Amino acid sequence: MRIGIVCPYSFDVPGGVQFHVRDLAEHFLAQGHHVEVLTPADEDTPLPAYVTSSGRAMPVRYNGSVARLTFGPVTAAKVSRWLERGRFDVLHLHEPVTPSVSVLALWACDDVPIVATFHTSNLRSRAMQAAYPLLRPSLEKISGRIAVSEDARRTVTTHLGGDAVVIPNGVNTANFAAAQADSRFTGTSDRPTLAFLGRIDEPRKGLPVLAAAMPTVLAARPGTRLLVAGPGDQRSAHARMAPEVAAATEFLGAVSDAEKAALLASADLYVAPHTGGESFGIVLVEAMAAGAPVLASNLAAFVRVLDGGRAGATFVNEDVGDLARQVGALLDDPARRADLTEAGRSRAAVFDWSVVARDVMAVYETVAHAGVPESERFLRRRGERGR
Amino acid sequence: MTRLEIIVLVVALVLAVAWLLSYTAARLDRLHGKVEGALSALDASLVRRAEATLELANAGLLDPASSLILADAAAASLEHTNARGGEDLLDGQTFAGREPVESDLTHALALALTPEVVAVLGREAGDGPLQRVSDAGVRVQMARRFHNDAVTDAVRVRRKPIVRAFRLAGHARMPATVEFDDELPAALRR
Repeated sequence: MRIGIVCPYSFDVPGGVQFHVRDLAEHFLAQGHHVEVLTPADEDTPLPAYVTSSGRAMPVRYNGSVARLTFGPVTAAKVSRWLERGRFDVLHLHEPVTPSVSVLALWACDDVPIVATFHTSNLRSRAMQAAYPLLRPSLEKISGRIAVSEDARRTVTTHLGGDAVVIPNGVNTANFAAAQADSRFTGTSDRPTLAFLGRIDEPRKGLPVLAAAMPTVLAARPGTRLLVAGPGDQRSAHARMAPEVAAATEFLGAVSDAEKAALLASADLYVAPHTGGESFGIVLVEAMAAGAPVLASNLAAFVRVLDGGRAGATFVNEDVGDLARQVGALLDDPARRADLTEAGRSRAAVFDWSVVARDVMAVYETVAHAGVPESERFLRRRGERGR
Repeated sequence: MTRLEIIVLVVALVLAVAWLLSYTAARLDRLHGKVEGALSALDASLVRRAEATLELANAGLLDPASSLILADAAAASLEHTNARGGEDLLDGQTFAGREPVESDLTHALALALTPEVVAVLGREAGDGPLQRVSDAGVRVQMARRFHNDAVTDAVRVRRKPIVRAFRLAGHARMPATVEFDDELPAALRR
């Protein structure tokens, strides 16, 4: 199958959508499909052969945050050329309402069935609402909508009407499952290790909640080590902690994928105290695949990833007392942690790329079968003659 | 206003209305086409599910009673597909009352493929026929959802005053969503 994938965010910077697009493209390439990706990227960024750059991305303030996007007539012409040259059987747009190459491709494409994946769980934007009549007819071109989580699906249902099939994000679970324990991160019965991953100065990732729970944990088990992996200002994070907590905390900074996997494979407990804004929770899947018992806040997205709490423990979001209690109980109960590790490993398999990509391919095949209606081709032919 | 100005204004207005009408008609036509395509994909996915079920029933992996129940439900579904045959009753826009038959097949699968049966089948026969039934079931869900999305879009445009006033939909029937139970058996769910 000839597949065209469009990623609206610049490949220069790491991000969930970019990784998703890259992994999906490489998975289908390995299966022998023809895959091309169109995305913004700087000229000097080394790109894989299957990626075409739509030009340099400009930082733009949009919908409350700064995004790096490409747009304008030159980009639009590039998008049309790429579509024409690609002769795709299916066009897969990511985040189709982001003002970047995705929406340009949606606009320009009229002879290929379109699949769209919605990643965010907050679609509502001023521009979206103001330009709705303009966008509506092109959104009608989408034949198959995918949402990466139930929350993303609810957003689609509320704001665009209609429905979407839920296909989660994929994880290369094998990379995490193969990770070996690292003695630096491995706990002992006196000195158990807790792992935290995420930006340390982003309160939504929940480090402050965990830090507030730590005094209680340390009172029962003074040797407990808190390993914090993630970029951010370590000194000010240190300063915000109680002295005994600061002493028990080791900041690892930004870690490589291999180090992250090793940390997860070694820690006695992985804690995900995120307070909100998570629509999926890929890090939980990575932790489960690596064999870390998971304790996560009970965000709806997390509870779903953890299979309703069967594949990992949960605590009441932002409830410091409950978090401390659960950490203590889990550290005291190696048998339960072993159970969670086992349940987590089999749960993680559901999110493996092999499973996820098979579902995405089923969507491609369904919309390719439905095809582009005859009338559309007729209109297009007529349009070409008129030109 | 001179006479010329008035004429120009009227011509411009007529052109604008004409453009709007032709644009809306083309949009509506595209939406009808999309519904048609989505319905044909749904039809194909249902045939595929019935065939996979029949294959599983005839594979000799299940007990004879379960096999018979599955074969009966699958055959009923295939019969309805074939009955539709050449006479395109519906302009490709409706589902011809096949919903109960498909719900029955869904229920038969749920009854036959209990967790215990699935566990045994998974061990004995690898993933072959069972995997095909499960894949086909997932595709039915997708195809039905995509079809209903297409219907929602088409119905919204058809309710527009301009479409109704100028009868832009012609004689095409109002498309309807297809509602039947397409849940996978619990043991096959992920």
